Amino acid sequence: MSAANDTDGFGWVSRTIHWAMALGVIGALGFGTYIARMEVNLSNLWMFAAHKTVGITLLALLVLRVVWHLVSRPPEPLPAAPWKSAVARWAHRAFYLLLLAVPLSGWVASSATGIDTVVFGRWTLPAIAPASEAWEEAGFAVHSVLTKLLALLILLHIAGAVTRRDGTLRRMIAGRAA
Amino acid sequence: MLRAIALLLLALATPLAAAPVDYRLDTDGSRVQYRVAFGTDEIFGVMPVEDAAVALDFAMASNSSVSVTMNAAGATANFPFAAQALKGPSVLDTGTHPDITFSTTAFRASGNDAEVDGLITIRGVTRPITLRGGLFRERGQEPGDRSELLVRLTGAVQRSDFGADGFSDMVGDRVEIEVLARILRDE
Repeated sequence: MSAANDTDGFGWVSRTIHWAMALGVIGALGFGTYIARMEVNLSNLWMFAAHKTVGITLLALLVLRVVWHLVSRPPEPLPAAPWKSAVARWAHRAFYLLLLAVPLSGWVASSATGIDTVVFGRWTLPAIAPASEAWEEAGFAVHSVLTKLLALLILLHIAGAVTRRDGTLRRMIAGRAA
Repeated sequence: MLRAIALLLLALATPLAAAPVDYRLDTDGSRVQYRVAFGTDEIFGVMPVEDAAVALDFAMASNSSVSVTMNAAGATANFPFAAQALKGPSVLDTGTHPDITFSTTAFRASGNDAEVDGLITIRGVTRPITLRGGLFRERGQEPGDRSELLVRLTGAVQRSDFGADGFSDMVGDRVEIEVLARILRDE
């Protein structure tokens, strides 16, 4: 099992990052929705810190993924109808954009509250926005909209992966299309 | 513990003092406590009292006055994030409004209790408030000794009235306030 990608398939590094991010993103979306609606008290306050930790980790994984794909080029998409290929191409571009913008908007909103963004219970990240009510409201509004777009995109991505019978899904699970 | 002896009625019944007596604040012995609901729990903490001007007329309560400046930027809370949220832009916005001020507009005494009408300014917004409380001697002080007194005033504000409505989905609107100020008579 190769770590690097080649022209025919994904190496284990790309696949591991993909599935780790898939689990993390779906978990963070569900978790974020839950904590946004729960009654907050001292016993569940840690969940906000946990959500921030997952978000920042996903941001780090995205950076790692981009760097890795510069080092080890991923294979070209498998042949498909032109409209399917176009949808897949734009969906992937949107994924990268949203996977960058969602955690950043959360970080901006968190910074704007004036509350430290602490990850893994120990590291305080620098504020990336001024402590400002306007930034806070805008940050959370953007975060909310983008997470919903990301959820829709995930559904589209899953539908595409499941309905394509050309080995695309197998390639991301086992490395090879066949 | 302090032996709480309400002096006010006694003091007000004393006809000897004809003019307000000025007191200065002992900042180390003074603080403002606050409490606010946080889900099923509570956020509480203290704010330092930065300055206070107290003039007490023991003959005519209505001549008395109290003004207090609290250092909101120095507020503490029972957990760190609460203090940061409290001082943040959507609540007290201490970066722009580091102080909370209170000054009396009317002073009434009834029995052992006092009622103080005043204006409180939070986030630059001024609203009327009524505080209740009294004056107390410290343990060991001689009866009639008014050189050192404790002022205790309690009241509540709706923080949304002042635009301090951040985290309203998590934190209650009604904030209980208790001012404890140790004052020393100006000699």
